[in-house]
Amino acid sequence: MTLISERPGPGAARPYRFPEVIRRDGIVAAHLPGQALAVAVLLLDAGAGREPDGREGVGAVVAKALEEGTAARDSAAYALALEGLGAELFTTVDWDSFRIGVQAPAERLPDAVALLAEAVRTPRLDPADVARVRDDEVTALRMDWAEPGPRADAALRADLFGADQRHGRPLHGDPESVAAVSVDDVVDFHRGWLGQPGTLLVAGDLDRVDIDALGAAVFAGTGAPVADAGGPLPVKTRSGRQIILVDRPGSVQSTLRLGHVAPHRSHPDYVPMALAATVLGGAFTSRLNHLIREVRGYTYGIRSEFGQSRRFGRFVVSSAVQTAVTAPALVDTVGEIARTQADGVTEEELAVARSWRAGQLSVELQTSGAIAGALATLVVHGLPDDYHATLRAALLAADVDTVSQAAADHLHAGALTLVVEGDAEKIHAELAAADLGPVLTTTFPPTS
Amino acid sequence: MVARSDTVVPMPPNGFPWPIETARLDNGLRVVVSEDRTAPVVAVNLWYDVGSRHEPDGQTGFAHLFEHLMFEGSVHVPKTEHMRLIQGSGGSLNATTNPDRTNYFETVPAEHLELALWLEADRMGGLVPALTQETLDNQREVVKNERRQRYENVPYGDAWLRLLPLLYPPGHPYHHATIGSMADLNAAALETFQAFHSTYYAPNNAVLSVVGDATAADVFALADKYFGGLAPRADIPPAPDGTRPAPVTAAVRETVTADVPAPRIYLAHRTYPFGSREYDAVTVLATALGNGRGSRLYQRLADGARLAQPDYVSAYGVDLAHAPAPLIVSATARDGIDAAALEAGLVEVVDELAAGITADELDRAKALLATAWWRQVSTVAGRADSLSRYATQFGDPARAGERLPAWQAVTLDEVTAVATEALRPETRVTLTYLPEDSRLPEESA
Repeated sequence: MTLISERPGPGAARPYRFPEVIRRDGIVAAHLPGQALAVAVLLLDAGAGREPDGREGVGAVVAKALEEGTAARDSAAYALALEGLGAELFTTVDWDSFRIGVQAPAERLPDAVALLAEAVRTPRLDPADVARVRDDEVTALRMDWAEPGPRADAALRADLFGADQRHGRPLHGDPESVAAVSVDDVVDFHRGWLGQPGTLLVAGDLDRVDIDALGAAVFAGTGAPVADAGGPLPVKTRSGRQIILVDRPGSVQSTLRLGHVAPHRSHPDYVPMALAATVLGGAFTSRLNHLIREVRGYTYGIRSEFGQSRRFGRFVVSSAVQTAVTAPALVDTVGEIARTQADGVTEEELAVARSWRAGQLSVELQTSGAIAGALATLVVHGLPDDYHATLRAALLAADVDTVSQAAADHLHAGALTLVVEGDAEKIHAELAAADLGPVLTTTFPPTS
Repeated sequence: MVARSDTVVPMPPNGFPWPIETARLDNGLRVVVSEDRTAPVVAVNLWYDVGSRHEPDGQTGFAHLFEHLMFEGSVHVPKTEHMRLIQGSGGSLNATTNPDRTNYFETVPAEHLELALWLEADRMGGLVPALTQETLDNQREVVKNERRQRYENVPYGDAWLRLLPLLYPPGHPYHHATIGSMADLNAAALETFQAFHSTYYAPNNAVLSVVGDATAADVFALADKYFGGLAPRADIPPAPDGTRPAPVTAAVRETVTADVPAPRIYLAHRTYPFGSREYDAVTVLATALGNGRGSRLYQRLADGARLAQPDYVSAYGVDLAHAPAPLIVSATARDGIDAAALEAGLVEVVDELAAGITADELDRAKALLATAWWRQVSTVAGRADSLSRYATQFGDPARAGERLPAWQAVTLDEVTAVATEALRPETRVTLTYLPEDSRLPEESA
C-alpha cells in the first residue's frame, strides 16, 4: 500500500459567473448555450398567502384542475399533446407565489409554453371535474398526513404563528380545509389570481428559443397586475419553551420539529443567519448532525435552517430519532442551540460553512431548472441581477463576530416550541421529566 | 394552436455528446474523463463493483453499512474529516448502495479536484487501519435508524423488502434487500468489515469518472499520483450467478394488513437485465403504462374507471444488470374502492398490454424518456455516474451514449413481445396492503 500522506491544497480558484440576466416586457431570462433542455416558468403573485380563510389548499386544487381540459381540448387530449413533446406541467404553490412550468428539449419549448398558457388562461374548470380533483386532493393529503411529519409541522406552525393566521396553518392546507373547497372557490381563485400577467422565467439555449414569442403566448389577453401583499410581519417569540406531543401510537421513531419565529427573507442579516444555521445544523459536519448522529447514533440525520418568505420566517430543526432516546436527543439538541446562541461560532466551523455555502452556488446552479429557480428568487424578493455574485462575496466575507452576533440575535433556545410526533404512551413520562418545558399532549389536528 | 406530430425533432444519434477519454492504471483502475468547461465545477464518481448481491446469508445489509464506514476516516484522514473537507471546499457528496454496486461521488469547485482524488484514494487504499469498533457500533445504529425512518415508520415502506424475496428464490443475489435485516446488522463483526474492504475495495474492482472543468491529461496524471501506488487484488470473488434464476412456475400472492391509509396493490414481474434490448423495450413499456397523465394507468384507472388515486399510480423498471430486472406496477385505491376491485382493474390494464400499445403511446413514451435522459446528463454529477455505470457494467463508458437512441429505436412489435413474454399472469407477484380497520365492504359479497 502506497498512499500520498500529504493533503493537497487547492488550485487556483476559477470564478463562477451567473449567466447574464435578460429582462424585458415581463420576461426574465438567462442564456445557457448548449443546454439540451430549456425551462419556462410562469410566476404569479398567487401563493398560499392569497388563499381565503378556511380554504387553505385551494391553490393546489386550482393547479391540478388546470390540466382537466381547456377551452380547446379535453384532459386526455391535453395530456397527450403535452407529453408528446416530452414535457409535463409542474406546479408549485409556496407562500409567495404560484408557479407553473414546463421543461422540454429547447426546440419543443415554444409548443410546450403554448400549452402551458392554454391551461393557465383558458382552463375548462368543469364543475364535475373540479369536484373530483378536490376529492382526490383530500385523499392525497390524507395519504400524506398518514406519514410522520405533516402533523408535527402543522402543530409547530400553529404554535409559532397562531392558527388564526394563514401562515399559522399548513402551506397546502389539511384534509379538512381542502374538503371545504367548493367549485366556486376554485373558479373564484382562478379568476381573481390567474388572470394577472405575472412574470415569465426562461432558462435555456436562447439561440434556439424566441423568448418574445413565448411572452406573446403567455401574456395574451391578461388583466392588470395584482396589488402587493404587504410588508414584513413583526417577529414575536413565545415567553418560554413548550413541548407539544403529537400522539402517533406504535411509532418506532419520534419525529422532531423544533422551532421559533424569525425574520423574513430580505432581512439585512440574511447572510450571517444562514451561516449560523449552517454551523448549527445545515451541513453534514454541523454541530447537530455531529452530536446526534455521529457521536450518539440516535438518528439517520438532523438539520436546522431558517425558512423564510417575503413576509415572515422561522427557525426550524428537523429529525427523526429512535423512540427510546427521544428525551436525551431533545436535551442534546436544545443544548446545541443554546450553546450556539450564547457562544457563537468558531472560525474553524465558519470557514467550512462559508466555503460550503459559496461553493454550493456554483455546484447547484448548473441546469436550466436550477437557473430558472434562481431567476424566481430575484423576482419574488425584488433582488438585482448581480444578486448571486454579490451573495457569494457576502458569504465569503462574513466574519466570526458578525455570524456570532446573528446567532445571538436570531436564535432563541429559551423560546423554542418542541414538537414531538411519536408514541405518547412510551415517551410522555420521560419528556415531562426532562425539564425542557411543559408538555401538552395532542392528537393535532383534532381527528374528526 | 399546437400541433403535436409535425414538430418531430430529430433525435441525436448519441445521448452523450461530450468527449470521453479513458485510461487504465497499471493496477487496473479504470479512469474516465469527460471535459466540460461550462461551469467551474468538477464531479468525481467511483463505482465499486460490489453490492448487496455479493452478501452471503447472515450478512445482509453489510455492503451498505460498509458504505457508511467509508466516511468515517482512513489512514491520513481523521474521523469526520472527509465530510468536513469536501463541504469546506464548497462541495456536495454522497454515496449509495444497491444490489449491483456501490457508488461514491462528490461535486466540488474545480480547484479542489486534487483534494477529492486524494480523499478517495485514501479510503480505497487505507481504510482498514482506521476502522474501529466504536465507529462500527455508531454507524450500525445510524443504519438501523435509516431502516426505521425509510422502511418501518412509513406506510407501505416495506413493500420493496417484501417484493424481492417473492420475485427471486432463496440463494439468488437479489433475494434480499440492500438495507438488510436488523438481526444481521446487530451481529456484524469488525473483522468481517475489514475483510470486506480487503476483498472488494481494490483498484481493479473500481471505475473512477471525472466530469467537468478538468482536462483528461491532468486527471490521468493525478489519478496515477494518488491511486497508482495501490496494489490490485488478483482473486476478487464474484457474486453468485443470478443471470438464470429458476423459472417462475406459479403466481405468488402476499397480503399485508397494516397501518396504511388505503388499500394498495403491487404487481411485479421479473423481466430482463438492464442493458439488454428487451429491457429497453420494458423501459418504454413501463413509461407508456405508468408515467404521466397520458399513461394507461392514469387514463384507465385514475381518470376513467376512477378506481385509483391519481397521484399514486406508477410503473417502472428497477435498472439492475446482473439478473432479470423487476418491473413494478402499483396503484392505491380511491375512497370507497376495495382492494379486489382495484386489483381487477389493474390486472385488466396490465393483461391488455399483450395486445400491444398504439403508435401515439409509443411516441409519447419516447418523448418523455428523451427529456428524462437529458435531465440525467444535465449535471456533471449525473454524467459521471452514467460513465461509471457503463464502464463497470458494460466495459465501455462510451456506451452511455447508446441508451437514448436504443429507447428511440424500440418498435411496437418489441413492446408487444416483452409484454407478452414478461407480464404473463402465471409469473406474477401480487402484493396487497389492506388497512388494519378495513371491514368487508358492503357492496361486495
